[in-house]
Amino acid sequence: MEILTSLAIGVLFAIGIYQLMRRNVIRSALGLVILSNAVNLFLLSIGAYNGIVASYSEATGQRSDALPQALILTAIVISMGTFSVALALLRVLTARYSTNDSEHLNELRH
Amino acid sequence: MLISHLVILPFVIPLAGTAIGVLLHKHWRAQAAWSLGVLLTSMAATIAVFWSVHTTGQPLIFQMGGWTAPFGISIAADALSSLMALMVQVVMVFGLIYAIGAKDAAVRYPMFMPLFLALVTGLTGGMLTGDIFNLFVMVELMVITAAALTAISDDRYGPEAALKYVYISVLASIFLLIAIGCLYIGYGTLNMADLAQRVQANPDQPTLWLGIVFLFATFMVKSAAFPFHFWQPDFHTVAPTPVSAMLSSVVVKLGVYGFMRMTTLLFVGQADTIHTLLLIIGVAGVAYGGFGALGTHNAKRMLAYSTLAQLGFILVAIGWGTPLALAAAILFTINHSLIKSALLMLAGYVASRAPIKSASFEVVQGVGRHAPWAGVLFFVGGMALAGLPPTNGFISKLALFRSGAAAGGESTWISLAIIGVLSLLSLIYVMRAFMRIWWQPRTSENKVKATGDSLLAPTCLIGLCLILGIFAEPLLQVTTTAAQWAYAPALYIQAVLVK
Repeated sequence: MEILTSLAIGVLFAIGIYQLMRRNVIRSALGLVILSNAVNLFLLSIGAYNGIVASYSEATGQRSDALPQALILTAIVISMGTFSVALALLRVLTARYSTNDSEHLNELRH
Repeated sequence: MLISHLVILPFVIPLAGTAIGVLLHKHWRAQAAWSLGVLLTSMAATIAVFWSVHTTGQPLIFQMGGWTAPFGISIAADALSSLMALMVQVVMVFGLIYAIGAKDAAVRYPMFMPLFLALVTGLTGGMLTGDIFNLFVMVELMVITAAALTAISDDRYGPEAALKYVYISVLASIFLLIAIGCLYIGYGTLNMADLAQRVQANPDQPTLWLGIVFLFATFMVKSAAFPFHFWQPDFHTVAPTPVSAMLSSVVVKLGVYGFMRMTTLLFVGQADTIHTLLLIIGVAGVAYGGFGALGTHNAKRMLAYSTLAQLGFILVAIGWGTPLALAAAILFTINHSLIKSALLMLAGYVASRAPIKSASFEVVQGVGRHAPWAGVLFFVGGMALAGLPPTNGFISKLALFRSGAAAGGESTWISLAIIGVLSLLSLIYVMRAFMRIWWQPRTSENKVKATGDSLLAPTCLIGLCLILGIFAEPLLQVTTTAAQWAYAPALYIQAVLVK
């Protein structure tokens, strides 16, 4: 089970990094989303294998670790905020430079 | 109970100020007055925290929500964090004063003041926190506010620089999350004091070095250290002047603070490797920043590259590894914040007087003839940046080189020689800017504007530079105390975990 999760995290990292280096800025921004999903899955895998009984439940058995789940929730919310700022910036930039091409978003020089 | 709540005030007060500042968005003057009042109050609270920690000799600890230490989030003000938080608040107050007196259109943006206060919250919270995940939250707050503040800049390249910054900062956040994950798997805790204790007890966990490397990469991006510096010149150049002065002076210091904590508190046993890496990237930063600053055609860009060089000095001093060198690094950090914010404000002032609002040398050449007081301030600031007496830059460079000479060791001498030679570059590039703006005659016929931004804030900052250069002893004592506390982490760990 751990192998499958590790493979999934690795594949998501690879897809995210590949997308991040695309020429089209929108695809590149989606690469950021996929990368943050990969990291959230990594954080999930930290506490996922200790037990399957929820912390609040009355049942007996090994309790699962609730802290990484709190970390993931915080990370998801924060990356949502960051991604909305990134999308707003992309909206302004693509409208201003009339292009989707990251090679042309390069007017800032010395 | 009241005294222990004092330590959360430095970042809770600006946060509350942000919320109410948003409500005042239709009335700019009321918003500006409110923001200044809030920031002065939080600076007073930070002075109280600093005073309490340095006179009683005990760190001030607060456990958020009442949860006891390693389960909750601890806010810990020891000598180092209270000193850094004080530096941040003082420089940010002057930044806000400059922003209120500035003629940028960006300052009139309804959300400028709340975003500025949120930047103060994130930065102060990042310095005072004792929990690495809380550090992640504060870092993200800083990223979003800094990107938004740059995107609304008058400069038309604002959104482009902000987008590049958001991309690299998201990568840095991913590194930080991976580091937190690796350290949690190995040691089961997020609290810095508890983590320090567990790492000392059990340094053989396989994910320890992964965590160290990813944390190191995060702080490299945050402090614009050599291979990850490429976002910094664009970003710090196109931001609105008050924001740019803050970004280049105090926001990059969070990465430096992170390195200090990594080598003295969290990973003491592994600090030798971290020190070697810091030496390498520090020397590279000094070289790259110095030569980059020589090749610029824009005053603000020159100062942004200069920040790379000065941060290289600080990283080299941390890399030397002795308490004296750490004290010199902390002193350099504080003095550089004061100098760089003043110089960037002056560059922005000159740009605001120029016919078009640009800090490019062709546009501002000769503008200085109409701004003599700014010339005096820039000259003193330039002397401080180059490290000439009687400014605080001289004190900090002297302390740095003496601590390097006292540290001994082959790598120390090599790095000391290299950065000693390269520190001459700062004299060249800053005096070159001074001559182009204030000594050379104007080449274009466009008229210089009659008034620009207000010069109150840079005057106070340069005044502080001179005062701290002449009466340097108190600050030297405070930074030496902070370094001694940092090198005795047992006091910090015990204070956090016992309460």
